[in-house]
Amino acid sequence: MSPHVDTFSYDDAIVRKFLWATFIWGLVGMLVGLWIALELANPAFNLGLEWLSFGRLRPLHTNAVIFAFAGNAIFTGIYYSSQRLLKTRMFSDGLSSFHFWGWQAIIVAAAITLPLGFTQAKEYAELEWPIDIAIAVVWVAFAINFFGTLARRRERHIYVAIWFYIASIVTVAVLHIFNNLSVPAGPLKSYSIYAGVQDAFMQWWYGHNAVAFFLTTPFLGLMYYFMPKAADRPVFSYKLSILHFWTIVFLYIWAGPHHLHYTALPDWASTLGMLFSVMLWMPSWGGMINGLLTLRGAWNKVAEEPVLKFFVVAITAYGMSTFEGPMLSIKSVNSLAHYTDWIIAHVHTGALGWNGLLTFGMIYWLAPRLFQTPLYSKKLAEYHFWISTFGILLYVAAIYSAGITQGLMWRAFDETGRLAYPDFVETVVKLMPMYWVRVAGGTMYLIGMLLFGYNIFRTWAARPATYDVPVISAPPLAKAYVDPHPVPAGTGVWARFTGVHWHRNWERMPLIFTVMVVLAVVVASLAEIIPTFLIRSNVPTIASVKPYTPLELAGRDLYIKDGCFNCHSQMVRPLRHETERWGEYSKPGEFVYDHPFLWGSRRIGPDLARVGGKYPDLWHVRHFQDPQAVVQNSIMPAYAHLQTRALDFDGIQARVDAMVMLGVPYGDAVNRAPAMAREQATALAAGIESAGGPAGLADREVIALIAYLQRLGKDIKAAPLAAAGGTP
Amino acid sequence: MKLVDVMSASGLSMYAIVALLLFVIAFLAIVVRTYAPGSTARYDADARIPFADDEPGPAARAGE
Repeated sequence: MSPHVDTFSYDDAIVRKFLWATFIWGLVGMLVGLWIALELANPAFNLGLEWLSFGRLRPLHTNAVIFAFAGNAIFTGIYYSSQRLLKTRMFSDGLSSFHFWGWQAIIVAAAITLPLGFTQAKEYAELEWPIDIAIAVVWVAFAINFFGTLARRRERHIYVAIWFYIASIVTVAVLHIFNNLSVPAGPLKSYSIYAGVQDAFMQWWYGHNAVAFFLTTPFLGLMYYFMPKAADRPVFSYKLSILHFWTIVFLYIWAGPHHLHYTALPDWASTLGMLFSVMLWMPSWGGMINGLLTLRGAWNKVAEEPVLKFFVVAITAYGMSTFEGPMLSIKSVNSLAHYTDWIIAHVHTGALGWNGLLTFGMIYWLAPRLFQTPLYSKKLAEYHFWISTFGILLYVAAIYSAGITQGLMWRAFDETGRLAYPDFVETVVKLMPMYWVRVAGGTMYLIGMLLFGYNIFRTWAARPATYDVPVISAPPLAKAYVDPHPVPAGTGVWARFTGVHWHRNWERMPLIFTVMVVLAVVVASLAEIIPTFLIRSNVPTIASVKPYTPLELAGRDLYIKDGCFNCHSQMVRPLRHETERWGEYSKPGEFVYDHPFLWGSRRIGPDLARVGGKYPDLWHVRHFQDPQAVVQNSIMPAYAHLQTRALDFDGIQARVDAMVMLGVPYGDAVNRAPAMAREQATALAAGIESAGGPAGLADREVIALIAYLQRLGKDIKAAPLAAAGGTP
Repeated sequence: MKLVDVMSASGLSMYAIVALLLFVIAFLAIVVRTYAPGSTARYDADARIPFADDEPGPAARAGE
């Protein structure tokens, strides 16, 4: 009797949809990126429109590129390769469709809300709570569809690409849920349940692992499928791919604290983050070598095949950025690079090189298969490759120079022991030529993107009237598993260990495999999170630090709304050049009421941790009105709308109430927050008017923002004894 | 007594280091297992899974 054979077909229609979404959102994300690069080179490009300012658009750029462009690219590759590697159609066409349309709706929601200033102020997690819930729902639908497909597979062994997909799906879910826990204070406003140091820790546990499990592991899965297919030979070493996978899963999750070196984060957490980051270099390069050596004996094809060119440079960029990442995590290197453009160059090596070029290579390989016609122009793909590669080089060379210049100028002392460049704007002016070179590099990459779109469009246009849907046949999995490659049984502990097939068993049992991955991720996370949250000495309190007044809280929310944290840090590191420039270094206890933390990650403008009382109130009024009139050569956009727009005093109560729910001791403000805010605003506005400033600011937004800025860093100055000692 | 009090008094700061060591040990176990003799044939077969699809290639289909 012949064995039973199932017949089925793959769902390529969903792959085509994700492919188009990848191109469209990639174009949008890169256009916004180019626009904000222009804004940094010349603030006139803000056009005086608040929703077009750098602070509002920067999160749109990062979200569009990461979650829209790279996200849709990942789904394109996963939907195509999973069906083939598992020899089955996706579990549910309905869930596939829900995933596609749900994800696009989320992106549209992000594209509308971010420029309007609705943000949680957490990098790569800016989207407000209703959108976060939608992301969780769509992600769960994707997970059900993916794991359902795994359960219905007709290939016993789960290929290594699928392992990377599994790790990505489960870990992203864990990261997204725990970093976005918040208390709503309105339909599109919420406060993180974590504060200060703990919020910073959670954010960078999330932030770094978003890079790991959204921009790295799924793309590695794609590499392990599409590189062998394009090179027409199996991966160089399957054993190495196993090591690559487990080391990435074991190590990456610990590395987040390296984003917070020399901040108020406990030193042990920072050191642990550094150690694991340095160890990450080994598996990353193991993966790079594995990818590149897959071309062994086929390097001649690289000269002829643009797909392979894209893959080779993408994998090389992966190697470069994963060498640089561990290097940047070393504290002494980090002290130079942190807050500078160096980090921006680093992430663009990864994003433009690794994610971008791998995506283009994958789609050039997929297009003829999905549209069932030869690629419109191989030559155009070649042009795309070269213009993108040169664009990347131009971009990163300029921004590495800018970052190192910034870092060195900030820390330079003259022969008398004083800061060589005490005026922050001196360091800004120096970067302008490099910012223009970045614009040129970004333009080249964008032109490449347009060539790509045209090529794919023309390929699509030549598609057949109806797509051929091949019928695939494969036998279902047998109930009993017989190992086709049995290893002779041995005796003794060693033989049992090396011969009991334990890892082999995991590889064909997705549930256990997934549980092991979740265990690795969760245990590693808890090993860092629990001490950070539950050992009191990690966040000593300072008696003189009090909650923000209702008006200051409203001002803080405006600071968040306008994305000020995208350019200004609020964290003085305990380094001499920092304390000379900004004042006393920041203490963990200063941030216990900061929901969310606003330490920032860049200093396009000066640090603001100690700005309270540094300038008169009127200085701030003039500065918001016309920054260049107050600080020559400043690249800050004008925020004139703050003086014309009325402050929503009545809305302050809901915000104070949400803070109270988080445990912030607001006392009297629980009952009369708007009245208290009005009192403070009236007094502040009267002072500005008597100093010769404009009248009638008492009910304007600018007054709240000034109140907030004037509060920053003042609490520890109020009681230096309490601040120095803290309470254990 | 709160959980924070218990944790603060327990001197558990070192346990992240212990977790680190456990992770290294688990990883070494996977290294040894992966590179143990006798597994080459099966891994070679696994590496060929992407080539096991029955679809006609684009060249055959599209006449490239």
